[in-house]
Amino acid sequence: MEEEKEAVMVTPGEVLGRSSDVKAGRGAYAAPHNNTVYASLTGFRRTIPPPPDSPDKRPTVEVTGHKAHGPVPQPGSVVIVRVTKVMARSASADIMCVGSKCVREKFTGIIRQQDVRATEIDKVDMHLSFHPGDIVKALVLSLGDARAYFLSTAKNELGVVSAESIAGATMVPVSWTEMQCPVTGQIEQRKVAKAAS
Amino acid sequence: MRQIRAEIGAVSKADGSAMFEMGNTKVIAAVYGPREVQNRSQISNHALVRCEYSMANFSTGDRMRKSKGDRRSTEISLVIRQTMEASILTHLLPRSQLLNLQIDIYVQVLQADGGTRSACINAATLALADAGIPMRDLVTSCSAGYLNSTNLNYVEDSAGGPDVTLGILPKLDKVTLLQPLSIFFQVLLSVIGRESGGVEAVIPLLPSKAMDSKLPIDILENVMQLAIEGCKAIANYIREILLENTKQLEYRRGV
Repeated sequence: MEEEKEAVMVTPGEVLGRSSDVKAGRGAYAAPHNNTVYASLTGFRRTIPPPPDSPDKRPTVEVTGHKAHGPVPQPGSVVIVRVTKVMARSASADIMCVGSKCVREKFTGIIRQQDVRATEIDKVDMHLSFHPGDIVKALVLSLGDARAYFLSTAKNELGVVSAESIAGATMVPVSWTEMQCPVTGQIEQRKVAKAAS
Repeated sequence: MRQIRAEIGAVSKADGSAMFEMGNTKVIAAVYGPREVQNRSQISNHALVRCEYSMANFSTGDRMRKSKGDRRSTEISLVIRQTMEASILTHLLPRSQLLNLQIDIYVQVLQADGGTRSACINAATLALADAGIPMRDLVTSCSAGYLNSTNLNYVEDSAGGPDVTLGILPKLDKVTLLQPLSIFFQVLLSVIGRESGGVEAVIPLLPSKAMDSKLPIDILENVMQLAIEGCKAIANYIREILLENTKQLEYRRGV
């Protein structure tokens, strides 16, 4: 996308243009009563030309501030979580990364029993799928209740990516349900993620 | 008009913070958020703005112990909250549709020498802008009194002359705060507004503080004009500070 090279800094309340000429993007807003586009953040003003195929020919004006807000899990995004508690029907986890980006604040997620794997979902034993402290790759299903996001590991490439054994060593995946401790050779049950090759 | 000075980033842990000085009045403001609502009973469908005002014990000449929830600080908290709420664009907050968000504004008076209300609002504006919270405009505030100088200091203030505290959205020419405020004042304000360059009174009707002293109409007009000018001067200064700060940050980032 082409960007106009201009380094104009604006502060909240500054006029960016008429709403008949420009569209308000991020960091800007259009006041309906006088058809004017104002800045709502402090930062650099950027003008982005409209995509060629859209019927709207107005360019978009954005203001990019210096304070970037951290990433937020959205339905459909792949997240890396750390399991905090395993219960009979669900496991709760703290979301650490969204995609490849670290989150800035705390988000909690829940992996319910029916979302652990795709087949035989009623035979899942949560305690044989996750342990507290496991690092799990999961998919955000929905925003869930007001407390936590609903997560799913019902795909081959989703599940435990890193786990410690009772001996304290990082285990090696053996099959999609088992991991082995390199120190003691003990095998533990997990819902293992297929390594991305 | 007294000398003003501002500084961004006074509290490093906060999402946004600022220090604002007006003569000898010195105020510090910190903004936390937008973050998830902590008290689940307060969940509503719009972002929650909370404000806490406090005054340091050593802020005035006569040291006195003030309890936290006293009448004055509750009132000022409310005033600041309502003034800022009028300016914050809650629907533009990132992920405002997803979660229930709250923004906390903490204002602390370090040194009080009249016009703390205005200084608090100015500091809060700067802190909000620093936190990157979308705002309609920078709210600025200034008080003016009938000693015919803007921005009364403590001695002048306590002399008992009539004064007004005014908060405006300078670029939009809208009044968000006027104290003392009565129905009569509001009517008057719209008249003055039309005459003095289109300053338009819109937003919330604050609980009217009892008027301490009477203010004749012809003087009110002058005082209001002074306060508006003061607000605009402060707005210009705040904009400068914000731009300077952004420039600095960009420079450090190596752009």
